[in-house]
Amino acid sequence: MFIKSIRPKKIVSQIKNHVKDNAALISIAENTDVNIDQLIVLLNEAQIEFMGGIFPKVIHNDSINDSGIVINTLVDAVYIGCTQNISNDNTLVLKIDFEDDRDYSLITYVDGLTSNISSFLSNLYQEYGMQTNYFGGGAGSLSLEQRPCVFTGQGIFQDAAVMCIMKMKSSIGVKHGWDKLAGPYIVTKAERNTIQEINWKSPFDIYKEVVELDSKSKFTEDNFFDIAKGYPFGIVRSNDEHVIRDPLIVNDKGELICVGQVEENTLVSIMKGKSDSLIAAASKAAKESAQMAVEPKKAIIIDCISRILFLEDDFQKELRSIISVLHDKHPEISISGALTLGEISSFGNGYLEFYNKTVVVGLFE
Amino acid sequence: MENPIQDILQLYEYSMSIGKTLDYKQNCDQFLKLLLKRINFNACWIIKKRDDVYTSRYSIPSGKSISADDTTPIQQVFAQVDSHRLFPYSEKFDELCPIKIDQGELLIYNLMEEGFLFLYSKEKCFDERLTCQLLPVIKKFSRSLIASNVFTNQQLLLEQLQESNQELNNYAHVVSHDLKSPIRNIETLVSWLEEEFGEQSQTSDLNYFTKIRENISKMEGLISSILDYSSLSNKQNKEIDVSIKELVEEVCSHILIPDHIKIEIALNLPTIKAARYRLQQVFQNLITNAVKYNDKSNGVVQVGYKEIEGYHQFFVRDNGIGIDAKYHQKIFEAFQKLSASKDSSGIGLSIVKRIVNSYKGEIWLESKPLVGTVFYFTLKQM
Repeated sequence: MFIKSIRPKKIVSQIKNHVKDNAALISIAENTDVNIDQLIVLLNEAQIEFMGGIFPKVIHNDSINDSGIVINTLVDAVYIGCTQNISNDNTLVLKIDFEDDRDYSLITYVDGLTSNISSFLSNLYQEYGMQTNYFGGGAGSLSLEQRPCVFTGQGIFQDAAVMCIMKMKSSIGVKHGWDKLAGPYIVTKAERNTIQEINWKSPFDIYKEVVELDSKSKFTEDNFFDIAKGYPFGIVRSNDEHVIRDPLIVNDKGELICVGQVEENTLVSIMKGKSDSLIAAASKAAKESAQMAVEPKKAIIIDCISRILFLEDDFQKELRSIISVLHDKHPEISISGALTLGEISSFGNGYLEFYNKTVVVGLFE
Repeated sequence: MENPIQDILQLYEYSMSIGKTLDYKQNCDQFLKLLLKRINFNACWIIKKRDDVYTSRYSIPSGKSISADDTTPIQQVFAQVDSHRLFPYSEKFDELCPIKIDQGELLIYNLMEEGFLFLYSKEKCFDERLTCQLLPVIKKFSRSLIASNVFTNQQLLLEQLQESNQELNNYAHVVSHDLKSPIRNIETLVSWLEEEFGEQSQTSDLNYFTKIRENISKMEGLISSILDYSSLSNKQNKEIDVSIKELVEEVCSHILIPDHIKIEIALNLPTIKAARYRLQQVFQNLITNAVKYNDKSNGVVQVGYKEIEGYHQFFVRDNGIGIDAKYHQKIFEAFQKLSASKDSSGIGLSIVKRIVNSYKGEIWLESKPLVGTVFYFTLKQM
């Protein structure tokens, strides 16, 4: 459901009508002029369980919205909660008694601009392992200023993650469509989200040499992201797969600050994308999830905001290609989602990862 | 497509994640979580045999603890794992898995004395090339686990040692306090006896009273010394700038120095950072001994200093009776004394040594019987 109203009372009433006695997943576009604190109070008063996040844009069917609220029903939620201070290494994860032979899905929204997200996800996998599917994304503002962006009944927080575990089957497809341009290189020095050295040299020098040659553009003082949005890093996995890391900023020391952790001695390639390959990858992600699903009721698309910045008008094609694939196989399915600062899911059915510039399609039954 | 350079660099990445820490769990976390991120498998754990029972030492995800007896089927499994082996899932693995599995494949590496490493994948993901490439890295990992265990055991022993030392200190402290009380009672009772029967007593009886008093006094001295020794680690440890020249002068002013003994204090004594009370005990003991055991008509005690690399080196020299070489080590042991002096507890030099050692220094002596003795000691510069 998509809500355009900005009046908290009306929003709560619409949410209540939509989710009934279930919990609600609330995705708010950052330009929505709604008083979130008041909304949280009223949702609590209406005894609605909920979790949510503020994102640069939200998706409802084939529309991409700068303002408005997307609501999804969280059926059979066994736990909704918030983990604060995730930039601290020692986040604790609540123990859940999973029933044997039941399908579970975990949806999480994290502050996409905080550090240590990978460690938080690692703690989730350490505790819950293969007992649940994982799905989610990074909340926050496109201005890249860190501010409170994830919320539950406890309030709205930054440097935090909210999550819901449901007794629900889900099928998840994840793809990016970026191809290797150069590398691999070794990240010889790094601190959380900052690449400080590549091959024992200034990372910007190496990056600049490769990217300027390919893009036939010159980096100036104020155009780093304009060019870099088309040349992310890819963390090398076995079988030539990559987990994408988006370099956002180059600092005075020539270090590159990314969305998401890059650890020392990580092997990275410099990647390059074309509209066609990105759109084809999104379509593949949709196909992958649609093929696994049996009777899905809703699709949630978590697509990286930097893909829209790169694809620009072609992003509509990416969204339509996802919708087309999903509707071909499951015509009745409702479609919504968010454009996020980082995406979360298992890689295949394995370990939990935080991606950039990637699309994750989740079908929930 | 095969890419040997990328493979080598990937192995470099795995290898560099091993042994960054000597903490067993963190060491496992850093290597095994990296493997999980880079290779598409689902879980891993380490099993080690102890007292004929296989128990899990580490696991991602956490799962349940494993405790499996060393039965024939398990022996048969592990007998097949010389260095590594890939098994399709079967029920015989159930009691060796911390998580519930019912399909997939298990790649088991032999970690030798550190047990067995299990990598589990729900779907087929381990090929022979990958498993062989990982072998040297896994070998490094097993060695790092041995180092982690040695480190953990060492830490454990150190903690136990510290606890024992603390207990001994406390014990000595309590016992000394408890002993003082009956000694005082005896002293009081002896005074009463003396008062009551003193006038009627014969000279021999009075001698007994004197002997009793002397022994009480000796006993009190001993107990006080034990108290001092046991309090060393707790007492007045605040480190401040201490002028050694002023400190030595102050010590000399508190010691009864006979007229025939001259004290010479070097002008270059430094100011150092240390606990004043502790240094005072060092100089007081050494200078008192130098004065006490001086038999010359023109006795000389010299206190000097020189700086050596990273250390302050002090000496206290006398021209006294000297110490035979066979006692040069023994005198630093508690309750060892070379004379039958009544007012010596035999603990002074062991206190000095303990203090010097606490500053990562050494104490030793050079001596010639009848000629004199030089005590040297060093304190690490801070």
